[in-house]
Amino acid sequence: MIGSYVPRPEWLMLDWHHACLEADMVTIQRCASCATWRHPPRRFCAACRSRESAFVPVSGAGTVRSYAVSHRSMDPGWHEATPYATLVVALDEQVSLLAATTSTPNDLALGMPVQCSIERRSDDFVLVWAEPSDETPDIRPAASGR
Amino acid sequence: MEGETVWGTTAIVGVGETDYIRGADDHVCDLILSASMDAIDDAGLAPSDIDGIIPPPGFMTTEEIAANLGIDDISYHVSVLMGGASPTAALQTAAMAVSCGLAENVLVTLGWNGYSALRPKADARPSKRSMNLGPMGETVRNLYAPYGLMSAAQHYSLYLRHYVDTFGIPEEAAATIALTCREHAHNNARALMRDRPLTRADYDASPYIAEPLRKFDCCLETDCAAAVIVTSVERARDLRQHPVVYLGGAEGHPQPADEIASRSDLLELGIHRAAPRAFGRAGVTAHDMDVLEIYDCFTYVVLLQLEALGFAEPGGAADFVAGGTIGMDGDFPLNTHGGLLSQGHCWGLNHVVEATRQLRHDAGPAQVPDAELALVTGYGDLGDGSIAILGRDR
Repeated sequence: MIGSYVPRPEWLMLDWHHACLEADMVTIQRCASCATWRHPPRRFCAACRSRESAFVPVSGAGTVRSYAVSHRSMDPGWHEATPYATLVVALDEQVSLLAATTSTPNDLALGMPVQCSIERRSDDFVLVWAEPSDETPDIRPAASGR
Repeated sequence: MEGETVWGTTAIVGVGETDYIRGADDHVCDLILSASMDAIDDAGLAPSDIDGIIPPPGFMTTEEIAANLGIDDISYHVSVLMGGASPTAALQTAAMAVSCGLAENVLVTLGWNGYSALRPKADARPSKRSMNLGPMGETVRNLYAPYGLMSAAQHYSLYLRHYVDTFGIPEEAAATIALTCREHAHNNARALMRDRPLTRADYDASPYIAEPLRKFDCCLETDCAAAVIVTSVERARDLRQHPVVYLGGAEGHPQPADEIASRSDLLELGIHRAAPRAFGRAGVTAHDMDVLEIYDCFTYVVLLQLEALGFAEPGGAADFVAGGTIGMDGDFPLNTHGGLLSQGHCWGLNHVVEATRQLRHDAGPAQVPDAELALVTGYGDLGDGSIAILGRDR
């Protein structure tokens, strides 16, 4: 296991981790009323104000929007793995989330297709991983407006 | 105009700051109290004149500050929790309190042991005092730290990388910010890097911390404190110093403010929302400014803020800072004290202190001739922004 810190989430985050563990895949919160996806989990839907929602399993397919490349980390476990990348992944559901990756930083680029999966780290916590997928590279720019 | 009693009716009348040190012998509370008392003295006031306090985000409470300074009647206090955007946002709150009559003379102070807390001396007694991480605490603990992202450099690199890759921002632009701040620190006897030169070769040779950030793109962890006193323009004119008027200011928060990765636009920061509000309230434009004191926790964050303020189009700050524009002889001298990058890190309250000195025409070798208008920004937490526009009183 890369990294040694496993938090003990509470409230909505805990519900999300439990949902991912139960589904054994990435789940994303979806409004039960207007079907808008959202992450990280929130109590109310910003689109329709409904408080009814469910954590729905998703394919985990997405693209790289951005990535940090760390050359040091205060976590000794991660520090051993430097330099390592951490991805901001845009899922096909149009929500973004953070994901670890085993890919070397030089092999990454914005817009690259990736596939997300989960790693169980405790009864209350999953870590999301994303690795380059075999799909034909998506040539759409991942960059948003600015 | 809405809010017309707030904008242009209050002034900074006292400033104080400690030295910027790595490994201070003084307790963090003594740093805060020393800067506060200096600011009160500088204004020509007595502690009993202070009736409003905005304390640091953590480390020390209003109650302790008042009791130790000998302030006997606090009529207003509030904490501002926006990380490095706090002190500049606090000016807005202080101006509101004074103009509404909630308090007459408000002390805004910030101090911390930004160096020593992580590197205590061998004989140091551990302090339980710490910063209040505010909204960042939960997010970092739950969402970022498990992925090995513990430091601000790592968190911000999540979108700085996007900025660099999207617009092809050359490293040259970041180096210009770092080298300019270092050059300006050499005019400032209080700057930690006052006699330490920095060359482009040094910059290029410095290791990456979190790409695109090299060591010299990152500000200095220091032990220090600063303080300013805000009162009404009317009272200010009877006090010791030339008043520096708070013409307008604003805060802004990215959406969502508590998490970076889920933003629809990774490059829309709080300052993008604050800028039009601040300029509208002050009735001036970015290009009217004589001095810029821009929150420089990281070089690339300065570039993004310059764009948000309207000095350049998105991606255009690299061209804007080229050719000496932000040097002492340029049109927009930037971080004339050396900034967080080369003076020291006092959460941007040192930027407010420097802007005040510039507008008093009391900035020594760093003085920008005839400075009339100064702009200060704050940046903190996961992209919160604050702006203060200050003007020399007539």
